[in-house]
Parts: sequence; C-alpha cells; structure tokens
Amino acid sequence: MIRRLLIANRGEIALRIVRACRELGVESVGVHSDADAFSPHVLAADRAVAIGPAPAAESYLSIPRVIAAARESGADAIHPGYGFLSENPSFAAACADAGLAFVGPPASAMARMGSKIEARAIAAAAGAPIVPGDTPADQSNAGVRAAIDRVGFPALIKASAGGGGRGMRTVRDPSDVDSAIDAARREAAAAFGDGTLYVERLIEGARHVEIQVLADNHGNVVHLFERDCSVQRRHQKVIEESPSPALTANLRARMTDAAVAVARAAGYRNAGTIEFLVGDGGYFFLEMNTRLQVEHPVTEQVTGLDLVRAQLLVASGEALPWRQDEIAQRGHAIEARVYAEDPDQGFLPQAGPLLLYREPNIPGVRIDAGVVEGSMVSVYYDPLIAKVIATAETRVLAIARLAAALRAFPILGVQTNVPYLLRILAHDAFASGTIDTGFLDREGATLVNADDDEVPAHVRAVAAAAGDDTRHGRAADRETQGRWDPWGP
Amino acid sequence: MGSVGPVTRVGNGVFTVEVDGRTETVFVAGPAHDRWLFWNGRVFRGDFRENRSGGRYAHRAAGLRALTAPMPATIVKIHVKPGDAVAKGQTLMLLEAMKMELPIRAPGDGLVSAVHGREGQLVAADALLVEFAA
Repeated sequence: MIRRLLIANRGEIALRIVRACRELGVESVGVHSDADAFSPHVLAADRAVAIGPAPAAESYLSIPRVIAAARESGADAIHPGYGFLSENPSFAAACADAGLAFVGPPASAMARMGSKIEARAIAAAAGAPIVPGDTPADQSNAGVRAAIDRVGFPALIKASAGGGGRGMRTVRDPSDVDSAIDAARREAAAAFGDGTLYVERLIEGARHVEIQVLADNHGNVVHLFERDCSVQRRHQKVIEESPSPALTANLRARMTDAAVAVARAAGYRNAGTIEFLVGDGGYFFLEMNTRLQVEHPVTEQVTGLDLVRAQLLVASGEALPWRQDEIAQRGHAIEARVYAEDPDQGFLPQAGPLLLYREPNIPGVRIDAGVVEGSMVSVYYDPLIAKVIATAETRVLAIARLAAALRAFPILGVQTNVPYLLRILAHDAFASGTIDTGFLDREGATLVNADDDEVPAHVRAVAAAAGDDTRHGRAADRETQGRWDPWGP
Repeated sequence: MGSVGPVTRVGNGVFTVEVDGRTETVFVAGPAHDRWLFWNGRVFRGDFRENRSGGRYAHRAAGLRALTAPMPATIVKIHVKPGDAVAKGQTLMLLEAMKMELPIRAPGDGLVSAVHGREGQLVAADALLVEFAA
C-alpha cells in the first residue's frame, strides 16, 4: 500500500485527495507555489514542500521540482489531480523512473489516449463509433483548409494535444476558416506547446455524455455509468449531472460497453473518462481523459463509491474494490462549478480577496472547495472557487436543492458566476433536459443580461445601516477586512 | 418590495432586515465606499452611502472613459485605431493571459481617442489600453 502520497496539485482537488489519504491512513504531502504558501490544501496536508514561484510553469508544472519534492519528502507515490501535469506522459514516465507510483495510467497508455488522433484509431478498432474527421498531414493553412473541405461544414478545428476547449474553433463559413485556423494554432501552441490541428465534423445539437471507467492491474475494467456535461460555455463545462436525462437504458448499456472496450483496448489503468457526443440518433467517441475529472463527485454521489480511494488502491497494485454487478446508480446528482469570473464582463476571470465566504450546510449538498474566507483568488491559476453538488431522489429535486444551496452561498470580494448558474437552473430548456452543448453559447445573452440589476430596498437598507452605524458598520468593516489581511489589526 | 423594517446585525458580516413581516438575511463585506452585499443568490456592489448613486455598477459607470488590462497579459491583436467609432460589445483588442484569449470589448457606443500598446507586447494589470473621447 502507498505509504506517503505527494499531491502534485492545489485547491479543491488537492484537498479532496488529502481527505482520501486521511481515511486510508496514507500520509499526505502537499506542494505549493509561493502564492499558495498558506492555502487550505497546504495546511490540510500532513507535510508541505515549496516548489517555486507563483507562475505555474515554474512550480506546479515543473516536473523536476515536483519529483525533487517527492524525493525530499520521502513520498512513494504521486497523485497528479487534474490539469497541471496530470495528462503529461513525460511526468508519468519521470515518476516511474524515480521509483514513484503514479496514481494514473502508465505513460504509454496516457500518450496513446492523449493524442486525439491515436485515441480515435483505438476507439474505432475497439468498435466505438467515431465522429467523421481528418488529420491533415500538411499542417499549413492550406492543408487544414483542405481537411475541412473533406469533412464538410460545419466543422470543428481542434488541437491534437488539446482539452478544455483550448485551441478549438467552430467554422460554419469558408470565409472564417483562415482566422479560425490561426487562432486555434496560436492557442494550442500556447496551451500545450504543440500546434498540431485536426478537423472534425461538428455534430449539431449533440449532448456531451461521458462514461467513468476504472481499471486495475489484474485485468478488471468497470464503468461507473455516465455524467452528462452538456451545459458548456465555449466548451468549458459549467453544470454536470448523472444520470443523463438523454440516455435510454439501451443507449446507456451500449455506451458503457463501448467505454469498457476502449479502456481495455488502450491498455488503460486507474480512473479515466471516455467522452461521447450523443446526437444524430447515435453516439460518437470524442476523446478520453486519462485522469480524475473535475466532475467526479457527481459519479461518487449516485454510486456511493469513493473514486479517489479506488485510485489509491489500484496504484498500490490492489484489485478494484468492487465488481461491475455491485455498482448501481441511485437517485440524481448535479454539480455546478462556481467560478471567480464576471458574466457581465465577458466572463473575465476575477482576482481578489474573499472578503466573505460562507458555505451552506444543507443535507444532500456536498461542497468541494479549496478556499476559505480570507483566501486570495489569484490571477495565476484556474478561477474555480468551489463545486457545489446536490443529490436527491429525482432530477427535479436535485435541481431545486442545488438552486437552494447556491442562493444560500454568499461569496463576496470577487464577482462569481452564481447568478448566471441560477438563471441556467431556472431555464425551461434546462429543466426539460433537452439542451445540447451549444445551449449556453446560443442563450448567452439572455442568461447574462439580467434585468434584476436594481438593488432591492431592503438590501439598500442593510447597506446604509452597515455603513452609517459607527458601532456596527465600522466594526464590521474592520472584522471583514482583518480576516484576509494577515497584517491587519 | 414593500415596507422595510429595522436592520439587525446578527453576526460578522450578517444582517437581518424585516420586509413585509418576513425576515431576510443579507451578507455584507468591504469598506463603505466599495460595499459588497449578498442576498438570495444575488450580489450587489457599490457605494451606498447617502447622496451617492449607489448600485452594482456605480463604480463602473464612473470610469468608462478608458479600458485597462484586467490582469498581466499579452496583446495578441489590436482591432481599432484612434478615430474609430465602436459599438457596445465590439471587440477592440484581444489579450491572452493564463493561456486563454481575453477579448476586450467596448462597454458602450463611443469614439476611440487613443490606443496604447502594440501587438505582442506584455502589459501589466491595469495598464491603459483604449481611451474614448469624452
């Protein structure tokens, strides 16, 4: 069994992994940049190692520094979390070279599935339907343009090394092709250090449904059903749920079978996610994420299983703790990602102190967060503040519970997307369970332009009372400021 | 909403107020000149002291003569030049930060009076980017 685990990540996912370590009796080692020295994930870990300055490239993304931190702290395993180095085969290989167990797939399987081009070939060979696409050998604008002509409009230009919507552009009109190619290549090169592009037919009106899989070193591969992540803004997931309102029992069975077959064909180990598009009367393999997903709690809530614990067992060489016939979906879970971003300013990421941050305490609501009141939301990292996951008997009840939780979750000091999330949850199309991945981008304006900007009289009354009452108002100022200013009074 | 009753401070940053006989909870933070309030999933920000036009966008409305960089970023593309008439929502400049492209959009209809920076340049947070004619 893993004895001491280094967590090569920060924020909520690092805390999530620390929690699993505690429960398993594994010692946890946190790492942090200078900007994160007093972050909750550092304080929660059993020990912590500083790995460099604030920019991620010099800290959380630095393979030599993370490996050195593992050596220095005597760790015998590394969990990469998501983002950062989690899907970098060189990192998985560096861990293996250093004699550290990597909590994830072998570097070879990660490299195979990390290349979208190779992953498509593996999925097709395993019998999974794939979206019509083309990888131009000639990567010039003319070459990519020719590939677009072959798959036809509308088309998606994607980064081969991509993910999270970076380096991805939709083209509907031949006149947009050149600027879209340039933008995709620029973003792909900046984000992944690899500007290789490929082209896919855009499946219009499709839903994004992904299957969670787990594989061990003893030949066992299981699935943990689906998550529906169709609520996306510019290919970034915003709301995720399970079960998917779009799947019939038959389609679910076919997709989960296909996912397990793809994982087997890839020689996959540990937790992974097979993403599919559901539309045009069928389903199509999209890509595989070779890591724990941001939205994994949704699966944990409906299956009652602990994915991170299973990851640590598998990385320790043990067999999966459950058989396929022991895994069932129960009830409905739905997650909203609370981001420090301002929907009224084009979703510009926000930075600043969390002057006030109070998580609601509601049965059936799980909050995975990496901040506390007084934390700084930094410009250096992902602006995710918290994931709010509501679980209930039915989808309708889970949505209502999530909305109630968001309305009871005050976050002040940075603008967040909470009002935007609430408008999505209240939207008829979302409630009916019929939306596709283009929903948010089409409805964007109506969801952002709130007509409720007017400040209610009673809120004004509180503002005035808090400001003018010298006993309480100024005291409140001092208290709230003092919480985030470590040098304050 | 109708009749608003007295305000009571019930905790650090937590106030209750009577509205038509119901009790509403409002969370408050920040100094009086830049007050943040939360009620029922909604956030309000501004200067709500007397004789000031309090409201969520009070702080923004005042400074819309210029646009600044929201964070350290690289200028990828400049779409406008001095003298250009721009429409609300139009992309004036494309920045890149944290590996994401950040379009800088016109906050309202206006006339560009000055553009600062050049493509490829790294700009600091709050660096002046585009100015508008008064």
